[in-house]
Amino acid sequence: MRTLLRFLKPYRLQTAIVLAALAVNLAGVLLVPTILANMINIGISTGDFDYIVTQGMYMLVAAFVSGAGAFACNYFCADLSTKVGRDIRNAVYDASLAFSGGDFEQFGTGSMITRTLGDVNVIQQAITMTIQMMLPVPFAAVIGVALACSIDMQMGLMLACFVAVVAVIAVASVSKAATIFQKLQQFIDRMNVRLRESITGVRVIRAFGKEEVERKSLDEAFSSFATNAIRVNWIFATFDCSSFFIMNIAEVATIWLGGNRVGAHAMEIASISACVEYAMLILFFIMMAQISALMLPRALVCLERCRQVIDHEPSIADGACGALPARDAAGDSEGAAEKACLKAASPGVPPMSALTSRATDGAQGDVVAHFSNASFRFADADEDTLHHINFMCRRGTTTAIIGPTGSGKSTIAKMLLRFHDVTDGRVELCGLDVRDLTQEALREHISYVPQKAWLFSGTIADNLRYGAAHATDDELWHALDVAQSGFVRELPCGLASRVAQGGTNFSGGQRQRLSIARALVKRADLYIFDDSFSALDFKTDAALRHALAEEVADAAVLIIAQRINTILTADQIVVLKDGCIQGLGTHEELMRTCEAYREIARSQLRSDELEALTGAAGDAKDDEIDGRDAAMKGGE
Amino acid sequence: MTIEKTKQTAAELQDMQDDAIKQLDPTEPDPSGAPDPEPEQELEVPRDPAATLVRLWSVSVGEHWRFAVVLACIVCYTFAHIAAPAYSAHVIDLLWGNIQEAFARGEAFTIGWDTGGRELLIFVGIWTVAWVFYTIQNFTMASFAERLNLKLRRLIAEKLNRLPLKYYDAHKPGDIMSRATNDLDKVSEVLQRGLLSMLIAIGSVIGASIMMVRLNVVLALVFFAFAAASVVMTRFVAKKTLVLAAEQQRAVGVLTGHVEEAYSGRIVIKAFNQEHESSKRIHEATQRLADTMRKTDFVTNVVAPMVRCLVRFAQVVLALLGTGFLMRGQLTVGTLQAFFQYVNTAAEPLTQFSLTMNQLQSALAAVERVFGILDEPEIEPDPAEPAEVARPVRGRIAFEHVRFGYDPERPLMKDVSFVAEPGQKVAIVGATGAGKTTLINLLMRFYEIDGGRITLDGVDTHAMTRADLRRNFGMVLQDAWLREGTIAENIAYGCDGATRDEVVQAAKTAQVDFFVRTMPRGYETELANDAENISQGQRQLLTIARVLLANPAILILDEATSSVDTRTEKAIVTAMERLTQGRTSFVIAHRLSTIVDSDLILVMDHGTIIEQGTHDELLAAGGAYASLYNSQFA
Repeated sequence: MRTLLRFLKPYRLQTAIVLAALAVNLAGVLLVPTILANMINIGISTGDFDYIVTQGMYMLVAAFVSGAGAFACNYFCADLSTKVGRDIRNAVYDASLAFSGGDFEQFGTGSMITRTLGDVNVIQQAITMTIQMMLPVPFAAVIGVALACSIDMQMGLMLACFVAVVAVIAVASVSKAATIFQKLQQFIDRMNVRLRESITGVRVIRAFGKEEVERKSLDEAFSSFATNAIRVNWIFATFDCSSFFIMNIAEVATIWLGGNRVGAHAMEIASISACVEYAMLILFFIMMAQISALMLPRALVCLERCRQVIDHEPSIADGACGALPARDAAGDSEGAAEKACLKAASPGVPPMSALTSRATDGAQGDVVAHFSNASFRFADADEDTLHHINFMCRRGTTTAIIGPTGSGKSTIAKMLLRFHDVTDGRVELCGLDVRDLTQEALREHISYVPQKAWLFSGTIADNLRYGAAHATDDELWHALDVAQSGFVRELPCGLASRVAQGGTNFSGGQRQRLSIARALVKRADLYIFDDSFSALDFKTDAALRHALAEEVADAAVLIIAQRINTILTADQIVVLKDGCIQGLGTHEELMRTCEAYREIARSQLRSDELEALTGAAGDAKDDEIDGRDAAMKGGE
Repeated sequence: MTIEKTKQTAAELQDMQDDAIKQLDPTEPDPSGAPDPEPEQELEVPRDPAATLVRLWSVSVGEHWRFAVVLACIVCYTFAHIAAPAYSAHVIDLLWGNIQEAFARGEAFTIGWDTGGRELLIFVGIWTVAWVFYTIQNFTMASFAERLNLKLRRLIAEKLNRLPLKYYDAHKPGDIMSRATNDLDKVSEVLQRGLLSMLIAIGSVIGASIMMVRLNVVLALVFFAFAAASVVMTRFVAKKTLVLAAEQQRAVGVLTGHVEEAYSGRIVIKAFNQEHESSKRIHEATQRLADTMRKTDFVTNVVAPMVRCLVRFAQVVLALLGTGFLMRGQLTVGTLQAFFQYVNTAAEPLTQFSLTMNQLQSALAAVERVFGILDEPEIEPDPAEPAEVARPVRGRIAFEHVRFGYDPERPLMKDVSFVAEPGQKVAIVGATGAGKTTLINLLMRFYEIDGGRITLDGVDTHAMTRADLRRNFGMVLQDAWLREGTIAENIAYGCDGATRDEVVQAAKTAQVDFFVRTMPRGYETELANDAENISQGQRQLLTIARVLLANPAILILDEATSSVDTRTEKAIVTAMERLTQGRTSFVIAHRLSTIVDSDLILVMDHGTIIEQGTHDELLAAGGAYASLYNSQFA
């Protein structure tokens, strides 16, 4: 509720107008029968037609004002609910942008989409419902009872009693309904599960000749749903019918009491109908409220789900340092960075931790990324996903990580990009702990090709310029050439070709190459390729890596791979298994020393290939492409 | 004021909402496997309402008496309901007469048995009669609607077994599911609320109109004039609503697209520092949606207040005229008040009329979609005198001049022949999308061939019953389908009455026994929700165990791919090797060893077999296989 108030706050004025309009509307609605009663009373007693015409004018005004009130109430209600809906959507989405990988996975993509779209819609509709169908109850009850009291105190009291009884029934039925619906939902779910199973499993079911068994089990799910649905509907009908009965008893009671009161000179004959009308109107509103109240528990759940997102504290907070020294000023990058950050650091934030991993300026270039005893554990896991990782990526060299699925390869990339934070140890970029940088500053220096090649709807050029808004067409074509994306030239619209959402109008391999090109357009100190060559055939893979070597010669490259061919020629290979580094070195070194690496090699290559590779390894080192080809021929 | 209009108003508002919610829920995560809601809704119109109604009526055979009860109750209820105000007029006039008499005598008046008490009791009686019929009709309609739904659902369940695979391949599971659940729920809802209140409303309007005319012709004509005006108005607004709904639909679509895209690509957004741009894009879309929603909400919800306002203007005119008649003694107090009650009775349905029509139409369209499924062409029935293969089955498969295409006009296979001898291993290779599953479809008769024949041990498979044919095959596919149920039940799926020992033995052979034992409840572990609680690799191992237990003569295998970790992959390879011993096997190959050792290699491209032979033969031929091998299996 507090969440809702927070979102209503900017619209206090609208809210007030809605309430005022509602009050005006209901006052008008209830005044019409009051005035009518007056007219009839006067008509029978005095026959003063002028008075009646005046009253008729009042009635017209009341009808008009009430109509205008309803109109205004409707308009501002629609305005209010859609604006609140929009604001919640925006808040949910903006909150999600600050989430780390772990934060987001905690919710899940599907759930996040529902929270942004469906849930908000339920909330929005609940606001409309509340305003249009529930708020009238207190207004109508108060105004109605007051008007009845002004006619006759006893009538007013009796009306109040009926309102109270029906209200109690309504509350009881709503609270009962919530639990019943929950139960019914289980039967609906059951139906859905059975159906989905028999549809997705149709081949297996038919292969095993189990059609009849599945039909029976579907039948059973359908029947138990029907039985329960009938029961639920009967329970509702019971409540519904008892309200119906009470309304009619109220009418009779009003006439009875009214007759007596008229007989006692306490009120006039036509006012009986006015009182009947009040009773019917109020009870009508209560029953509308009763039906629409069924929706509120659901809306509250949705609101809570949105609140969870909005109030979720991102597990990754920006560091104080807004900038690394520019890539061009690489001369003394660490020193500059340290100064920049010391300046930027606010008093509350401890100054840069010591820059322990200063690169030794050597032939291999300065250290771009450095994992120093880094460990990582997912929030809900019992065990570390990564244990004490130590290695560095130097400028101008290629580092490869290989290991089976689930060994934590991708997590390493995500830690560099700070989608996850280390739970122990540290990760540094250009000598700075990544946690001391703002995420923006950090990511400016990294270009990343994710495992799942995701493209955005728009044109190819839009996608390629994603990391470098001002890149020229020539630069785009160059990146495409490096990424072996010659196919773009063959497209009728070239760079302006449409990309569907997710890039689904391109094949997996094409998407991967486009996403590599996108990463290349962006100039960075570190290029990360997370299993980015898996959808490419060998020839393309090799050609791409060859072209890449020149392209990113002055940056560090980190390749995460499953296929051993992709990484044979890397300057250093990190072998990862169950989150631990099992070996670190070149292919030849690892073949000699690392059992885990040999196992991977054996599982992916045939023995003769392996031999050939080991034999030709020396040559392969000299000239990677030719060496690989030689190895291939040797293999056949 | 009566109850059904409350129900109707609230129910319709809720329906509109539900529809709106459905539209906005395109990607409800499926914890329960809920169907993917369809995006269309709202704008649907049945193609042939009359025919659909007739057919619905014939489907509901056996339930007709319930519907008759409902109709009879509605008629009786309407009578009582219409009689009540007239009787209340009588009561009030009687009371007024008695009161005036008493006043004339200078006495106060209290209602006694003879001075109105009896009439009041009769009045209670009328309402009680109305209430009884109302209740019966409500309860009966609930049964009728749900039983009708159950019938249709059962028909769908039967139909699912007779639909060709072609249908399943062409439709998303969510499409079929939403027919059986969402669409039919809508029908039930409309029958219980929409249709019921529609029938009552029609009765009330007719009854109230007749009574009004009887009470006073002039006043009745005034009311009819206003009623006609409001009908014109609601029709106009209803049209406008449809246009706006379509507009809103588009805005929802745009926002959904943006949001899905942004969430799926969030890593890219963050890696490229595009948070700000992305936020701007989403805000624009939510703004556009809010704008159209405001219009739609307003127009949809404003109809009823506008009609009510119009009715109130009518009431003013009627009040003036009526009081005039009253003073001239042409009307009694009771009659005037009764007239006003009839005005309310007849006017309220008018506020809902066009919306109810939209609702009924969309329910009919939903029924048509259900009938659409039931009318889909079915697989041809099994031959009356099926051929049988001599037992034990040896497992010789032969394709003889097979011609096939998913679209018969455009055949993929034109003249394919090959023979797999008993116990041989046949590797199927080809790029993704080359049609490797086509072969499975034909072997298992999931699709029928257009020419030539396929034989099993020399018997034309077309002459056999499907069940007999399929019994001889075991499939292990990458999409490892498991059923809701325990692990033991899943392993024993193809072999009813297998003992626990046999199940465990199969699991051991399939290398999955150890894994199962690590699960909290071992073989009794429930696999929930499409078996998401176990990994892809383990699922595949379980399907291997399932096939092992069924012990078929011929196997169709899909090798594990890279989505499985090395250890599990090794287990799968071992399990598959054990499985293939002594059986004819068709293996969709991803691995060099499989291809090289196989007795026959079928190279597929564009849905047909372009080359066949052993590894050495094909390499020597230097065709597609040779280049594929050199590029992919390096």
